[in-house]
Amino acid sequence: MSDQRPSVRARPLVERVALLPPALLLALTVLIWMLTGLGYFWPIWVAIGLAIPLGLLGAVRWARRRARQRDRAVAGIEAVGVVMSVAVVVIWLVTGMGYFWPVWTMLGFTALWTVSWVIVRPKQRSLEVRVDELTRTRSGVLDEQASQLRRIERDLHDGAQARLVALSMQLGRAEERLADNPETAALVRAARQEATAAIAELRDLARGISPPVLADRGLEAAVQSLADRTGATVSVNVDIPRRPPPVVETAAYFVVAESLTNAAKHAPGAAVRLTMWAEHGELGIVVADDGLGGADPDGSGLTGLRQRLEALDGWLQVTSPVGDGTTIRAVLPCEW
Amino acid sequence: MRVVIVEDHALLREGIIALLQENDIEVVAQAQDADGLLRIVDGHKPDLAICDVRLPPTFTDEGIKAALEARRRHPELAILVLSQYVEPAYSGELLAAGESGVGYLLKERVSEVRTFIEAVQRVAAGGTVLDREVVSALVSERHRSTADTQLDALTSRERETLELIAQGRSNAAIARELVVTLGAVEKHISNIFAKLDLPATNDDHRRVLAVLTYLRATS
Repeated sequence: MSDQRPSVRARPLVERVALLPPALLLALTVLIWMLTGLGYFWPIWVAIGLAIPLGLLGAVRWARRRARQRDRAVAGIEAVGVVMSVAVVVIWLVTGMGYFWPVWTMLGFTALWTVSWVIVRPKQRSLEVRVDELTRTRSGVLDEQASQLRRIERDLHDGAQARLVALSMQLGRAEERLADNPETAALVRAARQEATAAIAELRDLARGISPPVLADRGLEAAVQSLADRTGATVSVNVDIPRRPPPVVETAAYFVVAESLTNAAKHAPGAAVRLTMWAEHGELGIVVADDGLGGADPDGSGLTGLRQRLEALDGWLQVTSPVGDGTTIRAVLPCEW
Repeated sequence: MRVVIVEDHALLREGIIALLQENDIEVVAQAQDADGLLRIVDGHKPDLAICDVRLPPTFTDEGIKAALEARRRHPELAILVLSQYVEPAYSGELLAAGESGVGYLLKERVSEVRTFIEAVQRVAAGGTVLDREVVSALVSERHRSTADTQLDALTSRERETLELIAQGRSNAAIARELVVTLGAVEKHISNIFAKLDLPATNDDHRRVLAVLTYLRATS
């Protein structure tokens, strides 16, 4: 997945190459001026004509280095203003420095800068603060939710489940002592079986909330366990050096669980390849099967997963050409 | 038979102790955490340790880890792990420590008093007991997964029999459970062995090992 990211390193070289033709052109005009008798230095106009677009290009590129869209727009306006002001001053200098007409151009840009500094920038800063705040609180809420779910699972385990086990055990002992009273024994047995059914239901519920093996052993053991339980042949390849935060771990677990369930359901008998890795602050998941493909990427299970990942600033992509297997890719930001 | 119990939930611990004592099994010591398990096993040299998977302080899987460590220190110690979850990873680790004298049961099995006491006795005597949920998870999933596995050749009755064998039941117990005659069970079993290419022996314990080996090999 890392090779999908655009490469940024090649750019400076491209820019240096782009400067070459204008430089050659300018040298050529100077040569012509020298050969034609060194009159009025007209090549200055060629230089100005070439410098303005190059300056604007540079300004736009400089502005584009800003991370945020809004920053780029404001920085772009400012940089274009600087380039144009310098250009008109140079033209004024070259044309004999009479009445300082560039003042009007510069005044126009100054007005734009003022608007940008007085209105746009403060608003932008407050938006930035808000975005930072929302990002922080959202991840706080999600972390809290993930650890709360694990706590619920643990409370179920230590509380209700344990009590039900104790209850069913007492009932079992009572049943043993009722050997000579078969009717009462049958009642007690029915009660014990009810308790056992409740334990099983609680167990399924707890597994759906937060699978214990995930909390206990981490992602690799948990997905291996999923792979062992699913009805398909799954090759598992996990390279995650440290344990991600609970919220990321749980989301990744359910991506794998849903993907494997889908594969078992829609591509029975197909071989499934599960790859997970973590690097550069990202956790990546690929679940690929060699079945018939044609999966609906907007199915309810996948849509739920996509929403879950989007809440974590992650994404999920389903590729399922008919006849050519299904591949589910997901990436989650994962800061340790 | 001398048994130790490690369970942090007091109600359950007391209940299991009472249950065992009612059935003439001597409980020589009890503990509430993983360190306690190692301490009482070192101190009392019991025949069998019954322990919970989740124990203080972290309530994750220290029960399994402590049980495996105790087994490493005292290879003759039998271990019966009680868990609230079917987790093939944990039962697999237990089996990897040696097939004799290990058991993995869901906690609620303690309510089926006679079956539970039988399981305790079987594990203490060096047998293997796997919870029927663990076995059926492994068997049925393997069955679904590979279209042409040997397990596919089994009839549903034979598969039920295999699950019961893997739980360590005797032929008589299987006959009771499936409500068939002893002769029918024996016929099922010889069919299973034939279809799975397993050598049939008269030894119950080796029979379980053969089935477990097969389950592990395919998992």
